[in-house]
Amino acid sequence: MRKAWQLAAVAVLCLFLVSPASAAEKIYVNGIDANFPPFAYVDKKGVPDGFDIKALDWIAKDQGFKVKHQPQDWDSIVPSLLAKKIDIVASGMSITDARKKQVNFSIPYWKIQQVLVARKDARLTVEQVLAAGSKIGVQRGTTEAKWIDENLIKKKGLKFQLVQYDSAPLAIEDVLNGRIAAAAMDDAPAKDAISKKKAVKILGTFGMPDEQFGYALRKEDTVFLGKINAGLKKLMKTPYWKELVKTYIDKK
Amino acid sequence: MPEPLLAVLDALPYLLEGSFVTLVVVLGAMAFGFCLAVPLAVAQVYGPRRLQPLVALYVWFFRGIPLLVFLFLFYFGLCTALDINLSAFTVAVVVLGLISAAYQSQIFRGAILSLPEGQLKAARALGMSDAKGILFIILPQALRLSIPGWSNEYSIILKDSAVTYALGVTEIMARTHFVATRTYQHMPLYAAAGVIFLVLTWLGIRGLRFLEQKVRIPGYSHHEF
Repeated sequence: MRKAWQLAAVAVLCLFLVSPASAAEKIYVNGIDANFPPFAYVDKKGVPDGFDIKALDWIAKDQGFKVKHQPQDWDSIVPSLLAKKIDIVASGMSITDARKKQVNFSIPYWKIQQVLVARKDARLTVEQVLAAGSKIGVQRGTTEAKWIDENLIKKKGLKFQLVQYDSAPLAIEDVLNGRIAAAAMDDAPAKDAISKKKAVKILGTFGMPDEQFGYALRKEDTVFLGKINAGLKKLMKTPYWKELVKTYIDKK
Repeated sequence: MPEPLLAVLDALPYLLEGSFVTLVVVLGAMAFGFCLAVPLAVAQVYGPRRLQPLVALYVWFFRGIPLLVFLFLFYFGLCTALDINLSAFTVAVVVLGLISAAYQSQIFRGAILSLPEGQLKAARALGMSDAKGILFIILPQALRLSIPGWSNEYSIILKDSAVTYALGVTEIMARTHFVATRTYQHMPLYAAAGVIFLVLTWLGIRGLRFLEQKVRIPGYSHHEF
């Protein structure tokens, strides 16, 4: 019995002594939104997987640094990066001017269009979805959430209601439940849902300008940014890049 | 096999691994909370009058703020302000532990007050100092009487631990969410998570019930088994 207590005490002590390992070799941490297929998600074994994960793995190998992927809440991903809890965000992040004030972005690697997703059997037009009394779902902390709020609601004075979700798939789930008329999101996760045989369709765009994805880094990490950009440029010229696009994004 | 069932079976090993993370968070928080709660309770019952408002303040503070607010306050506020880099897991254990200490201290205080006053007098009569009396006479009895309240606390922290997914602790809830967004099988997966939590609650309460029987004071327990 006494032994057990001692063990427990040691275990508790260990918990508090576990600080980030200051090992000889730094392991860069990539903060991902693991609820953002096909760019970032976890596979059956719980291992992070997706277009951005595979791409960054290749870049790390090419540039000779170690990387690990850590799932976390998208809403607080930039604060986490600035608080040095993570070192990079390679997880389908749109490059925006507002974000550029806080972080540095790599070169753009993917163009994305914002679309509205509705039920497959819905006889709706984009105009009807944006009409008064209707509800539109968005993922919290995304560029589309911000843009819709600033441009369609505040500037244009449209009277639909914006409903916030933890992730795009949860918004899609509520489209299927009929709680909301449509969900606004990047076209890639929308296509991903359709490829997984969910009864939804892409209704069309809603006037938001196209965006580019890039990796976000801290402003002071200029050397690391150089490595990332060099690796990314190299990767985009390889056949492996085309393969990644085919495997993850263009799958039918 | 129907697809929902397949999705659950597929995810089960991953979710069960998550229950291990959940349990480590819960047990760590309970142990940490215990270490704080015992001195708090003793201070509240036997401590000098000057200490009373401080203990009361602690209890009031940690019982009065929602868990999610605390988690964010520590993880993004305090850690960043003080420039200490604690992992989400550590913050989850510390915050749950601090909150649990407030609740546990009240469980112990109630147990101490439920002991007959003669116990400490008897200890003094044997020539024990007050500290010794509290440590060797009062606490061993009070802790035994606290077990039922403790199992209540366990089930509350177990459920609270699901909230730590907001920090990125990959416990049961976070993992369920990951699998659900990949497979779109929300209903069966959250049902599976619910069942895992039910089993964990049941196991913990059974374990504590067993402990209660093992260490009960003959003739002085809440009920004869």
